[in-house]
Amino acid sequence: MSNKVKINIDGKEIEAIEGANLLQTALDNGIEIPNLCYHKKLSPTGACRLCLVKLNDEDKMTTSCSTKITEGLKVKAFDDDLEDHRKMLLEYYLAEHNEEYDGSHEDELLELTKRYGLEKLENREVHFVDKVEFPLKDVSSSVLTYDATKCIKCYRCVKACDEVQGKGVLSMTERGITTSVLAGDGIWGESECDGCGECVQLCPTGALVEKSYQDELKIDKIDRKVKTTCPYCGVGCQMEMWVQDEKIMRVTGVEGVMPNDGRMCVKGRFGYHYVQSGDRLTSPLIRKNGEFVEASWDEALDLIANKFKDIKKKHGSKAFAGYASAKCTNEDNYIFQRFIRQVLGINNLDNCARLCHASTVAASQMALGGGAGSNSIEHYAQADLIYVTGNNIIETHPVTATYLKEGKAAGAKVIVVDPKYTKLVRYADIWLQPKIGTDVALLNGLIHVILRDNLIDLKFIKNRIEDGEEAVQRLAKVADKYTPEVVESITNVKAEDIETAAFMYANAKKPMVATGMGMSQEVTGVNNVLSLINMALITGGSGIKGAGINPPRGQNNVQGVSDVGGLAGTYPGYQSVADETVREKIAKVWNVEKEDLNPKPGHTAVEIMQKAHEGEIKAMYIMGENPLISDPHLSHVEEAMEKLDFLVVQDIFMNDTSVYADVILPAASFAEKNGTFTNSDRRVNRVRKVIDSPGKAKDDWRIVVEIAERMGVKFPDYKSESEIFDELASITPQYAGISWERIEHEGLQWPCPTKDHPGTSDMFLDKYGTESGLAKIFPVEHVEQEERASEKYPLILNTGRLLYHYHTATMSRRSDTLTEFVNEAFIELNDIDAVKLDIKEGDKVKVSSPRGEIETNAKISDEVAEGEVFMPWHFNESKVNYLVRDELDPTSKIPAYKLTAVRVDKI
Amino acid sequence: MNQTLITLKNINKVNPESINSYYDYNGFKAFNRAKALMPKEIIDIVEDSGLRGRGGAGFPTGLKMKFTYEAKSKDGKKYLVCNADEGEPGTFKDRQIMEKDPFRLLEGMIIASYAIGANKAYIYIRGEYYLSIKRLKNAIEQCYHAGILGEEAFPNGESLDIEIRKGAGSYLCGEELTLLESLEGKRGHPRIKPPFPAQQGLFKSPTLVNNVETLATIPSIIRFGHSWYKNYGVENSAGTKIFNLSGDINNPGSYEYEFGVSLREMIYEVGGGIPNGKKFKAALLGGAAGTFVDESMLDLSLDYDSVKKVNATLGSGAIIVLDDSRDMKDFLRNILEFFKHESCGKCTPCRVGTKRILEMNEKLMNGVENKEQIVNQMQKEAKMMFDTSLCPLGQSPIMPLDSAVKYFKNELI
Repeated sequence: MSNKVKINIDGKEIEAIEGANLLQTALDNGIEIPNLCYHKKLSPTGACRLCLVKLNDEDKMTTSCSTKITEGLKVKAFDDDLEDHRKMLLEYYLAEHNEEYDGSHEDELLELTKRYGLEKLENREVHFVDKVEFPLKDVSSSVLTYDATKCIKCYRCVKACDEVQGKGVLSMTERGITTSVLAGDGIWGESECDGCGECVQLCPTGALVEKSYQDELKIDKIDRKVKTTCPYCGVGCQMEMWVQDEKIMRVTGVEGVMPNDGRMCVKGRFGYHYVQSGDRLTSPLIRKNGEFVEASWDEALDLIANKFKDIKKKHGSKAFAGYASAKCTNEDNYIFQRFIRQVLGINNLDNCARLCHASTVAASQMALGGGAGSNSIEHYAQADLIYVTGNNIIETHPVTATYLKEGKAAGAKVIVVDPKYTKLVRYADIWLQPKIGTDVALLNGLIHVILRDNLIDLKFIKNRIEDGEEAVQRLAKVADKYTPEVVESITNVKAEDIETAAFMYANAKKPMVATGMGMSQEVTGVNNVLSLINMALITGGSGIKGAGINPPRGQNNVQGVSDVGGLAGTYPGYQSVADETVREKIAKVWNVEKEDLNPKPGHTAVEIMQKAHEGEIKAMYIMGENPLISDPHLSHVEEAMEKLDFLVVQDIFMNDTSVYADVILPAASFAEKNGTFTNSDRRVNRVRKVIDSPGKAKDDWRIVVEIAERMGVKFPDYKSESEIFDELASITPQYAGISWERIEHEGLQWPCPTKDHPGTSDMFLDKYGTESGLAKIFPVEHVEQEERASEKYPLILNTGRLLYHYHTATMSRRSDTLTEFVNEAFIELNDIDAVKLDIKEGDKVKVSSPRGEIETNAKISDEVAEGEVFMPWHFNESKVNYLVRDELDPTSKIPAYKLTAVRVDKI
Repeated sequence: MNQTLITLKNINKVNPESINSYYDYNGFKAFNRAKALMPKEIIDIVEDSGLRGRGGAGFPTGLKMKFTYEAKSKDGKKYLVCNADEGEPGTFKDRQIMEKDPFRLLEGMIIASYAIGANKAYIYIRGEYYLSIKRLKNAIEQCYHAGILGEEAFPNGESLDIEIRKGAGSYLCGEELTLLESLEGKRGHPRIKPPFPAQQGLFKSPTLVNNVETLATIPSIIRFGHSWYKNYGVENSAGTKIFNLSGDINNPGSYEYEFGVSLREMIYEVGGGIPNGKKFKAALLGGAAGTFVDESMLDLSLDYDSVKKVNATLGSGAIIVLDDSRDMKDFLRNILEFFKHESCGKCTPCRVGTKRILEMNEKLMNGVENKEQIVNQMQKEAKMMFDTSLCPLGQSPIMPLDSAVKYFKNELI
């Protein structure tokens, strides 16, 4: 397809790509053929007819948007005939169009009207006698408004919803002159529209406009549009924030740049209000007599430095712990971990990766020698099989899901493994619904079928797996007893479905696997993922282009914070703190003695809380984390917090954790800082300062540097965050070739070892990261969980996230747009259980476990299996983590959020 | 003047509800002959017969079959689609066939499916054709029962299934690409051409779309051969055509005549002339998307080439007769209203233009002064629509409009 050919447009010879779109090629070459219904992300529509051209000296007019380039193609793009017709077509548009322009949106029709000199009515020959009657403006959606009188029926919104986002909520209604766009059955707010706003982004005329700031925003008053990276989930969408009078008033996706190519979700596009919320922390606060009072930076930082010095003197370094932040930049986190290690002298440092994908990372490290996702987000679109396990991907990684749906539309088979119904099931060829906590059994069942029917990839096994066939034999020994029938009895998944799914997976040439919290947040988390990797390895579903195992990451920089050393056991680049040569190298860069660096791996997230509870840890520095909602066994965490001598919380809002603080420090939000985030597919993306911070709020890293200085440690005099990045790149082999300069336009995927390395889209193509360079098989057995349903606690609770909220909801609940969709917790109960418990939809219920009890409202559905219940964990009025135990996976130390025995009682 | 009955041969004789009756009228003899032929040989016969599409466009049927036969299918599937969405005003020929000789249509479809290698055929039928639907359903059932449809329908052991799909009243769904869109369960909107159905039709597989009359003619051609068929008609217009007479005429109805019959013969001999002592004023050939002719054209030979020479069209074979009491502006309004009503709204020239031209016609009727200017503007915009519209609907208003201006300009201005 990438054959270069020569074509001729209006006498101009152009080199073009065979098969490429003629209109796009013309536009790319500065030949401005007018068009309205065309968008390069969409299939050609041919509705506006403005892009008509004449081909090869024929009189016949053909739409250039639907013409593919062939060698020697001769194009007449402009002549009187074509221009006369275009002018009249524009007049046709204007005849049916409401030309009132409120300035709140860009308007391609208006631009063309000017270009063709049709602004004045006397220059037009077409006027309707009868005005066309359209439905009233639809204002029922929380995110947008639709004005049919401004609609030019170009189909861009319909196709944006269908082809780009894979949702298919929009269509056209009526016909002829009264055609207009319809969402669902007719009322936007009542349709299945989830508010992603792709349609708004692609609307050329302002028929669809974002609702927020619609009356305030004026295009000609926009001071700047700043390109940056979305602060929500780990997709790392590239977006532009529009600023008018120092206020962020709109967000749009950046077209043509990976990973999102302009796509966004409802949170990223419409959930930016929290940045300029009146609730932002604007001054340091110090607890005095039980009350928080405003303080100067000097007062607050001196207090912290002195307290830290005292505690260090009295109790030594082991009394400290820090929480790095998956929401802060790589630069912030790099400085933070350097502070904890160099200044406080301890590795008691962790981040919330411990709570989400620690087990995935550990298992992948063991088996593949690398913990990050092995492919790129857009690869889902080219896969021939997509296996999604324990991952409500449409809600938690909405933009990744769009590629997945694109893959499905292009013919990929989709296997969904989830104990709970997710929206993705509608796209699935098969849905396996195992009982919670039976993943290893299920995977061993799949492996059993694959081995039994010899669906393996022998070449791959021989060449790329340690011990080759022998390793597979060891696996076979374990898998032998997991016949589909046995597995059905353990998991509740039908034996025949296990057979079908096994064949489907094994026969795929490019299987993309997305594994989520359902797999990782278990006491068997590592084993779950090892088992998944076993299946991929024996079928050759790894180490190839565009296929492999990928854990979509939950937070904007959860990949980055771990990459740059926000972990108990590793320096930047996953280099072990116990490794002397590594310490030597780091010491040099940090300008300290090797001996000053603590060789002992620190405590991990939940362990830190346990150690605080035991009294070993006396002081904590929490940057941009909210463990008082997100950690398991919350009552225990509360006690731990009470016991601390000194707690510093650095955040953008007061939250459930800062309540326990001695000092609260106001930090800059992502929109107020420069830096980088690293997304799920290892792409290092730029974060740019859009506006100034409110009040006295400061960049996280600057605060840390100032505390260090007050403790007598002078960090280098960083002129900008890019210098911090260069320092971290100098000690992080994966980042060595990356600099801000290189990622100005588009991010780079690590590993990127040298300045001329193009980045790595697919991992493990030639060899794995293990010592031998070969992948390893670790056969694992299913074990019955200790935590199980009992007479007293008869239901198994599963927890998770919702599309409209993020983490502990401190950000998402400060956007009215998002809270209009959902703003309260609930517990989802199977209808059979609901009848047994005499609970009806909306009933207030008490949910209890041995560790605590909470109140919430009941939601009755068949989306959860009988005997299982589900709760989102975002909401601080129903903190589900009061119920969850803090038992950990032994290897990765991830807590078991996904399996808690509870009882539900009507209040 | 006697009809030349080929396609309508069994009408009013055969029992349309009985396969045995169809057998009595030599039913499936053509298919039996086809079974002895290679698919390519069947296509050659159809091609050599000179049969052209009877839906209105007159495209050589054999060529269309050949394209579909030769096209490579990504999923190995090919389809035959019978366009039975007879919606052109003044046209009711297909209904005749489906109601009164449904087995003949099925036989034509079976032969065509075998020839192009389709294992699935659809009849996309106008939803209001209740009796046609009933009879076709019954006929299909009987064919399954008789082992003609279903497993091993073809000599090569391949199967054939035929399914009926009902249209929901949209004129545009009679346009082949829109029809395919609708058949796939989507909104009845036209597709961009190319690709043509023969390359990428139903569900993106090669598809042969043929009109009822075309398919129902194939059995006779296969049975008696291409030279036999070519004996009928004139150069470039082989065989017979079913004409539908309606309007101000004494004997409205469906009549099958050889190409080359004159308009005068159709109106005065076949149609029995104009009723109530009125005089012939005009005929609209080909329905709404057709062209007017006046009495100077009465001796026009009704064949593809001759009508083309005078910028007229045969279209579907509709002949709507107007007597001298008819007002052209009023009649034109009727047609233009029809187009406005049937415009799907997808492409701008058609969506807006159909309303525009109708509005200008209203102005003419309301007796404004600058009528000539308005008529010129109507023609200008209709030409723009013709040049720029996505599908034949938007390209159609120019035909009745220009021909009305050509013959009846004085009446319009």
